[in-house]
Amino acid sequence: MLKVNCPHCGAEVVFRSAALPVRVCDYCQTTLIRSDEGVRQVGKAATLPFDVSPIQIGTRGRFEDQAFEVIGRVRWGWTDGSWNEWLLLFADDRHAWLGEAMGQFMLLAERPIEDLRDEKFQSLLQGKPVDVGTEARLDDETLIAADMRGASCIAAEGELPFTAVTGWSITSVDFRSASGRCASLQRDQEGAHFYDGRYVTLAELSPTNLRPIEGWRMPAHG
Amino acid sequence: MDDPAAGAPAAAVKALSCPSCGGAIEIKAAGYTVTIVCQYCSSVLDVANPDVRVITEYHEAAAALEIPPGTRGTLDGIEWEAIGYMRRSEGGSYPWDEYLLFNPYRGYRWLVTDGRGWSLGEMLTRTPEWSSPSGLFVGGERYEAFFRDTPAQVDYVLGEFYWRVAVGEEVVASTYVRPGWMLSREANGSEINWTLLRLLKPKEMSEAFGVDVPPRSRPPLPHQPSPYHGTIGKVATIGFATLGLLILLLILFSGRGPLLTERMTLPQTGQVQSATFGPITLDGAYQAVSIKARAPALDNAWVDLDYALVDRRTQVSYQAFGVAERYSGRDSEGSWTEGDRSSAIKMATVPAGIYDLVVDASATRWKTNPSAMIWGSAPRTGPEPIEVEIVASTGMTFLSNVIFAGFLILIPLGFMFFRHAAFETSRKGESDFSGTAAQDDEEDE
Amino acid sequence: MNGRLFLYSLWCLGITGAFLAATMYGYSPFADGGRVAPRAGIYGPTHK
Repeated sequence: MLKVNCPHCGAEVVFRSAALPVRVCDYCQTTLIRSDEGVRQVGKAATLPFDVSPIQIGTRGRFEDQAFEVIGRVRWGWTDGSWNEWLLLFADDRHAWLGEAMGQFMLLAERPIEDLRDEKFQSLLQGKPVDVGTEARLDDETLIAADMRGASCIAAEGELPFTAVTGWSITSVDFRSASGRCASLQRDQEGAHFYDGRYVTLAELSPTNLRPIEGWRMPAHG
Repeated sequence: MDDPAAGAPAAAVKALSCPSCGGAIEIKAAGYTVTIVCQYCSSVLDVANPDVRVITEYHEAAAALEIPPGTRGTLDGIEWEAIGYMRRSEGGSYPWDEYLLFNPYRGYRWLVTDGRGWSLGEMLTRTPEWSSPSGLFVGGERYEAFFRDTPAQVDYVLGEFYWRVAVGEEVVASTYVRPGWMLSREANGSEINWTLLRLLKPKEMSEAFGVDVPPRSRPPLPHQPSPYHGTIGKVATIGFATLGLLILLLILFSGRGPLLTERMTLPQTGQVQSATFGPITLDGAYQAVSIKARAPALDNAWVDLDYALVDRRTQVSYQAFGVAERYSGRDSEGSWTEGDRSSAIKMATVPAGIYDLVVDASATRWKTNPSAMIWGSAPRTGPEPIEVEIVASTGMTFLSNVIFAGFLILIPLGFMFFRHAAFETSRKGESDFSGTAAQDDEEDE
Repeated sequence: MNGRLFLYSLWCLGITGAFLAATMYGYSPFADGGRVAPRAGIYGPTHK
């Protein structure tokens, strides 16, 4: 846990984990990176557009009996819409992502690219497009490509494991399965990252400290 | 409310003005909504990007909708707000309405109706478990195929949607059903979506959104459960179990061995012989008494038997009569026989007591058997006296009672099966897979 | 338990009840013969 003052505006900024070196100052939106030499600024993050997401920084919950706190967010946009990816920090310093789109939630954790042995994944990693409905095997389960899209980063807030610069573009392929499992393969100019997990409902995360929204009753959980 | 930094509840709506007509528009699902239709000028606006841009303009007047955008209703204990409406159809025919429901803490649902009933749909996050040409499994339940790949197009939109909806947008839809549930698969080039819909009871819909639902729809909806669904199995079980019980009682109370076995010898002259047999002791308060008469040598003759079971003490008599007859001969087709050499009667409710059985019997030859004369065959037996064996026994049950009860049990069951089958035939009539489709000729795949 | 199932169960119960009652008395609506008043004439030993 590292507490420093933002070099730009002086407000207090907290870094909770060494694995999450990037942080957007809550007050001036300056993106800060923490390293061995200290904390330096790397530019300003765009303001997040208004949305009606029930999740906010500080929301807490439980996934598979492990408590987590939401500490960061990246907002992605594509030609036909946008979605949020919330960063969850667990008590044992692990982190995972909660993807939120169209009211559906995917809880994903990063996995090494080397785990992807199926040739369909290899083909994707080489940059070849894939048809929706294509099947690929992972861990004795069949995953089905649900959609493929190009997206770019709109804005970010909170603590993050990487710099989420506005305009950073990726190609993202989402997979689904019969068991509710989901996965996401994201490629950009520098490389690829693979995330594996499953769909969850907001209720099963027993969330507390959800964002109150005017005119709507917050469901009682946790 | 006092401390802005601490976070007052987020405003539920985002206000902006339509670039086409300047009207004030409110976005209810800000951050998700991509398309919103201006309620003043019906322009379809793209709000995915920070600058609101007009994509197309339409000049259709908004029809009065059953659920105007902004209406809230509660289903399954969750409050929803209707934020979008679209009308879709199969190339312009068979239109149906779809309303998009939103709750920021619960996501989206769909309310779908084609005029016959309402279904609540949710987009699935899992793919079907396995499939065959006739059906597939999702969530452990089997759905049978109802409509095969059908083009569905958007004809009209109003309100907000979470994707870039456009009039004329098309998907290929296929439908699978089980009683009360419908599974819909919609695919276009870039995505496949599965939606699971539950048929709502008319009361759920009228309580939630104040919409009236017709009680009976003709023909039934593809996923409408038969009025006998669920109960027909139980009813059949009860019916057959009852019948089984009655058969068991029939056997258990059918009575012990014979109380009396006697013989009479009757000349075949028609002369009545009388014999009295007894005593027969009947122990039970009431019982049925069977009297069987058997004449093994009977041929081309009949035996009349008049029985009187007379209580020795009260002289009350219980009477019945039986006939045993047997005829045989030859004709152009060969030998024939007719009749039964035994006769069985059963008297009901005979009270306890000591009885004598008085039998007045006669045997009569059937002299005028034409085949005997035409074919010249000698009758198998001559006019010797016929021996008749008479056996009396008691019991409590009658097979005829069981058969009658069986009819009474099975008739309502049969009626229900018939009505259920008629309903299912009517329901499946619309299906592409029933073999009795009243649709157009199938196109080549 | 819905109305139809309940009514049918009552129906079957009624039939079973009627069957049991008939069995107790050895009765059937399809039985042969019947009872008549005491006959003239005397059969069997009625006096010693």
